[in-house]
Amino acid sequence: MGFLSKLLFKNKTQSIVSGNSDSVLIKGDELKRSVDEVFGRSLFVRLVDSGSCNACENELAALSNPYYDLERFGIKFVASPKHADVIMVTGCITRNMLNPLLKTYENIPAPKFVITAGDCPETGGPFKDSYSVCGPVSKYLTVAMNIKGCPPEPEAIISGFLKFMDMLKTS
Amino acid sequence: MDKILINKHIIESNDFVNSADNLKGSGKYLLGIAAADERSLNSKFGIRYFFGGNNSIDEYSVKVDESFQSISRVCPAAKMYEREIYDLFGLTPDGHPDLRPLMLYPENWNSSLHPLRKDYNNSIPEMKRYGEYKFKKVLGEGIFEVLVGPVHAGIIEPGHFRFSLAGEPVLQLEIRHFWKHRGIEKVCEGKDFKEALDLVAKISGDNNVNITISYLEAVESILNLEVTERAKYIRVILAELERIWNYVRDVAWIFMDIGFALPAQSLFALQEELMRLNKSLTGHRFLFNVLTVGGVNFNLDSSKLKAIDNMINKVEKNIKECEAFIVNSSTVLDRLEFTGKINKKTADELSLCGISARASGLPRDSRIEYPYLIYDKFNLKPVLLESGDVFARTALRIKEIYVSKKIIGDLLFNLPKGDIAVAYENRPEAYKYAAGNSETPRGNAFFYVMADNDGTIFRLKYIDPSFRIWPSIQYGVLGNIIADFPLINKSLNLSYSGNDM
Ligand code: SF4
Repeated sequence: MGFLSKLLFKNKTQSIVSGNSDSVLIKGDELKRSVDEVFGRSLFVRLVDSGSCNACENELAALSNPYYDLERFGIKFVASPKHADVIMVTGCITRNMLNPLLKTYENIPAPKFVITAGDCPETGGPFKDSYSVCGPVSKYLTVAMNIKGCPPEPEAIISGFLKFMDMLKTS
Repeated sequence: MDKILINKHIIESNDFVNSADNLKGSGKYLLGIAAADERSLNSKFGIRYFFGGNNSIDEYSVKVDESFQSISRVCPAAKMYEREIYDLFGLTPDGHPDLRPLMLYPENWNSSLHPLRKDYNNSIPEMKRYGEYKFKKVLGEGIFEVLVGPVHAGIIEPGHFRFSLAGEPVLQLEIRHFWKHRGIEKVCEGKDFKEALDLVAKISGDNNVNITISYLEAVESILNLEVTERAKYIRVILAELERIWNYVRDVAWIFMDIGFALPAQSLFALQEELMRLNKSLTGHRFLFNVLTVGGVNFNLDSSKLKAIDNMINKVEKNIKECEAFIVNSSTVLDRLEFTGKINKKTADELSLCGISARASGLPRDSRIEYPYLIYDKFNLKPVLLESGDVFARTALRIKEIYVSKKIIGDLLFNLPKGDIAVAYENRPEAYKYAAGNSETPRGNAFFYVMADNDGTIFRLKYIDPSFRIWPSIQYGVLGNIIADFPLINKSLNLSYSGNDM
């Protein structure tokens, strides 16, 4: 049980993870303030993978690891579209995923925003010329923001959220 | 080390059923079936069956017109390949028990269009319903269905799971996949070998290094290109680093799904450190674009070697603690043991590979069966467990992390000198083809590549380990409670993108 007790007695995230970059914390604090201001405490995000290579999902999942711990900045990935403020889209939009994507979008109560993560939803990425791909997302939905990258690194996604909040504040 | 040798056999008649049955009896298993539209060469379609086992690969090829004999009844693993060929090429597997569409959904695709035929004119059907997909139904009193997906409650790839239940235990699970079908094989056609690398890496991003190695085995064999020893060493180091970060993540998810957030998060932190190591070594967290035809794109200097050494020692230490924790905790064992059991016979019938095969007692590991690069140097033995449950698959990953650590450790400070890539001007011979294989963290990745007369890709067929393994979950969950499904699913942790392609 040494393993568990060693972890238990380190009570701060920062002390479990070594070499956490300050930039995440600085951006995160700013993000938290903006989310508080604009959304009143928290921003809920529903993810739809519309046909990715799965690296983008791995990076989104990494946002919950102790190095980033996105929820402490007031952003949460939620299970139901009914709870969401934002739909985040990854992947190139396959013909098979178009309908599930649009249905998920419909089920998000207004006001709602579309954010894309990765190059695929914005341009179709390497798959754009395929018979079974019908993206980009902007053909079907109004996109508030694209977070670029292949895949975007976790810190870039945090910066993306920050930029999105700034956009809302100024608009 | 020579590229894998494939024993080639030509099937004269259309009837391969008896031979397939005999092959299975002799310890062979189906690695995959690849079709190609070769009408421009000999006015026929070619179908190639690849059987592995007993340390060799056999290829059986047959030329057909519009239909061929299904071997699914004697070789259940063939079912999905034959459905795929029916969809993409429009060739009918005679006697197939289930010819529902696979990747071309009747909800949006006109079934008379077969995009992998060479005379397919790139016409994209209008987005409308062309038909219905019929699910299997379990009938009887008190039976109800639970439908999950394609969009799941979390950061997961899309897939549809349909459970039939009577009370808690699962009576039937039907999986419908291919939501993410991106038509990669077709997009690769007409590209040169280097151009296609970008697509190959994005078949399944988290396994891209190992998958690309398999692709390179095939194309370098077509080009008669021998890469330097140093490049081989670096490829193996990267492949094993990828295996380690995948396994660390997979074990973390097991803890997450049984509600043990503390060890889970400590392993997720370790995964993050491994990905940061990748970035510091190559500039990319997933090691995208580090391999190329003829070698690798980056070199390892002494400071990088030291960084790898430190990290693998740290991984070993953390994983040892984690292993002790699993075997000493009755609450953990209680959730993992006897859950999601896939027995050896089922595993064999379905031609499983990778962790899923080894956890059910089948000694299948491509690094050992069909060694490539320098894997014959290590004298590897397959790590085997018999119980086929979630516990076996978890424990096996842990044990194999030690093996990968040892492989990397052996190579780090013995790197041969030399170039990391060889320049080449060889042009592939027209219509020459080759196969490649590798062991990804999920199992055997198999490529079949044929060059066109202008040196580009005429046909590329890739078989992802997940494609072989997904159907086995439908057996693994039977009799289990539905609440254990996520755990069983995570214990196999298959790729949706690799399966759907
Ligand atoms: S953007 Fe890049 S990493 Fe993300 S899904 Fe597309 S190919 Fe994969």
